[in-house]
Amino acid sequence: MQRIDFPMRRRPVGEEVDYVIVGVGSAGGVLLQRLARAGFRVLGFEAGPFWDTERDWVSDEAGSHQLYWEDLRITGGTDPLALGANNSGKGVGGGSVHWAAFTPRFHPSDFEVYTRDGVGADWPISYWDLKPYYELLEREMPVAGPAYFPWGDPHGYPFGPHPMGGVGNMLIAGCTKLGIGVSAGGPVAILSGSRADRPHCIYRGYCIQGCKVGAKASTLITHVPDALAHGAEIRDRCMVARIHHDRKTNRVTGVSYIDRDGREHFQRAKAVIVSGYAIETPRLLLNSACDGYAGGLANSSGVVGKYLMAQAGSVILGRFETLIRMYKAPPAHALTEEFYETDPKRDFARGFAVQTVGPLPIAFGKQMMAARGAWGWGLRRIMMDYNHWSALGLLGEILPWADNRVTLAQEKDQFGLPVAHVTFNLHDNDRKLIRFGTKRVEEIMHAAGAQEVVQEARYAHLVGAARMGSDPATSVVDGFGRTHDIANLFICDGSILPTQGSANPGLTIQALAARTADYLISQGRTIFTSDRRDPTAPPIRHDLSPPDTFKGGVPRYSGASAT
Amino acid sequence: MKPDSHPGEPPRETDLLRPRDPETGDPLPSTAQPGYYPGYRTLSQQTFWDAATRRKVLARVEHPPVIRFFTPEEVTLMTAMADHLLPQRDRAKHRRIPIVPWIDERLFLRRTPGYRFEDMPPDEEAYRLGFAAIEGMATESHGRAFLDLSWAEQDKLLKSIHDGHPMPGAEKVWRAMPHHRFWALLLQDCIEAYYAHPWAWDEIGFGGPAYPRAYFRLENGEPEPWEKDERRYKWDAPAAAVSDPDEPEIATHRHLAPHGQGGTH
Repeated sequence: MQRIDFPMRRRPVGEEVDYVIVGVGSAGGVLLQRLARAGFRVLGFEAGPFWDTERDWVSDEAGSHQLYWEDLRITGGTDPLALGANNSGKGVGGGSVHWAAFTPRFHPSDFEVYTRDGVGADWPISYWDLKPYYELLEREMPVAGPAYFPWGDPHGYPFGPHPMGGVGNMLIAGCTKLGIGVSAGGPVAILSGSRADRPHCIYRGYCIQGCKVGAKASTLITHVPDALAHGAEIRDRCMVARIHHDRKTNRVTGVSYIDRDGREHFQRAKAVIVSGYAIETPRLLLNSACDGYAGGLANSSGVVGKYLMAQAGSVILGRFETLIRMYKAPPAHALTEEFYETDPKRDFARGFAVQTVGPLPIAFGKQMMAARGAWGWGLRRIMMDYNHWSALGLLGEILPWADNRVTLAQEKDQFGLPVAHVTFNLHDNDRKLIRFGTKRVEEIMHAAGAQEVVQEARYAHLVGAARMGSDPATSVVDGFGRTHDIANLFICDGSILPTQGSANPGLTIQALAARTADYLISQGRTIFTSDRRDPTAPPIRHDLSPPDTFKGGVPRYSGASAT
Repeated sequence: MKPDSHPGEPPRETDLLRPRDPETGDPLPSTAQPGYYPGYRTLSQQTFWDAATRRKVLARVEHPPVIRFFTPEEVTLMTAMADHLLPQRDRAKHRRIPIVPWIDERLFLRRTPGYRFEDMPPDEEAYRLGFAAIEGMATESHGRAFLDLSWAEQDKLLKSIHDGHPMPGAEKVWRAMPHHRFWALLLQDCIEAYYAHPWAWDEIGFGGPAYPRAYFRLENGEPEPWEKDERRYKWDAPAAAVSDPDEPEIATHRHLAPHGQGGTH
């Protein structure tokens, strides 16, 4: 058990702070910690609760729904996305509380998709800009994985790999038979050995129900305690309703929020950072439309809400004669990125990864409903075979499209705020990629010895909808997360990603947050007083890591790390 | 396995509705615990669970919620439907898992999974529309209410929604609510209730809560010392049922299969 009982500074409501951060999740937690350590007065708003993990969390699939964003959203398009438990967290720690914690880096190619393949978009920064922050966050979480990870920019991991579970063994067996390389035992942000006051993993399999053990990294336990120890404040169960903008100065002045008792307050701030993730961030900007920004705050480009992405996350399930018991071990414990890059021999751009997953009984039952049409006695029969089934996740890159977007619906939530309407349509490249990827995973399953293989179409993660870019006409923020329109308004979360690769986005989101924090710190109080935009990249601040972050112990491979 | 007596239930009807021995065709006796892990009890490990988990799971077993959303007529209808979507006639009566109270609680609390499809009404309305559709189909096809149909007729009626070709009589409802979405809503709610229950975990050999104690036999499907090895037996679905995919005439309908809605990675 991980105890989090720091006394927290509480400022009078309304007293001006330097930074307000909207959403204390993967990005918000890291930002809060960095800015507090650097001496800024920083206040985080979180719509969900500040968890007491021992009291609030359970080892139980049906009993964990409060971890997810369950407020109403409308979903549609030709391929509507499931939201809630599928991809949306609520509460301090946000998505990092319910992620499976796979933490692969993006590949260098991910940052220049348009240049290389003529599809998607280029990032305003390169892999090499982000690489030091990948290394930093891999130590802060820390990430367990192999000493040599061969794909993208080859590298090693600071914590040792995890032992294999039944699903990982099956992935290794199938891939080995087909000559496909596998990364076993990570990369995953779960402790394979105890560190400081955090115990090691106990392999109970309830990662996405919130890690009660404290072995899986979430910003709730990796960064928030250090933030509070350095004077940051978090107002939990407070929903930010709008960002206020002063038309005369073209600067934001603070936010309105509704507290846990339903009262509305105004909080003044010298700068605002929105970290609400790919649906709530654009929703807040759209709901903050005002004089001068009639189409949504910081939306002179019209791009806010557009280019929303989810990854192809089809689940491929195979039945084996032998027992698997896939509920044991972290769902995330082995993967292959052998198919990650564009292959000119295929009829589509970009690629995919294949990863272990470990659905618990309710999730598995729903998968059998979708994948096999199971119901009634047939469902009972398949479920009795639960321990014979093994599951792999496809993680495929879906390209950014303008028609995949977040808009405001007619309906209102419990606070009277228009809810998000999410539209998602697959395009030709996406469909071809999913068809090809699913077939490959099915081949791996068969090679591992599965007698029957079925699949359920699904989408994983959410990014985009407030993308970064060099051109203010086609993007919302610059390479440091600063909105092109308003000099003291920043966005820092998954929504700023221009493309998404085939890697789980959590590590990249936290690495970007650390980089944005270094930029803000390097700019000092200029952010609060001036509209000047300094494009100078900041020096990396290794001294701002939470305590117990080690500096060494990471294998390095100089051969491939050319700049 | 200990046979379960059903005083007052006509034997022939019971026989038709219970799984059968494939060799003899005889109905298998109802038991306290169907499945291939006889003697395995997750609840026997509750002293090794953390307090919050123990409280949550025991409350689920001991205090299913009271009905607050459905009318008494709707409870009867929904209970009859759940007997097809997740039949439990192989379970001894005192070991059947409540399903309808959990659906009722979700609808009463207006708890959504965090989203609604743009072509669907709110879940509370969807259920009531669905009930109207089922009665409309029963009336049009048989001239009787759903509850007055035989179990086999009910099973076929529901299967027609599953197959994506609902029997006539509810066209108006299906214009307001796609039938495949209603089917997924209904069945997912049943799955969430049934497989949340520790008796269902025993049935399928799922280990259940394991904090603070760990699992340590991660490979080759090996059981922990407190888990059981699998002991399989063969069974056929009840004679009156059309929901077993091993029956050759049952085809799945992939074009209408909903997208996965759970979080796995």
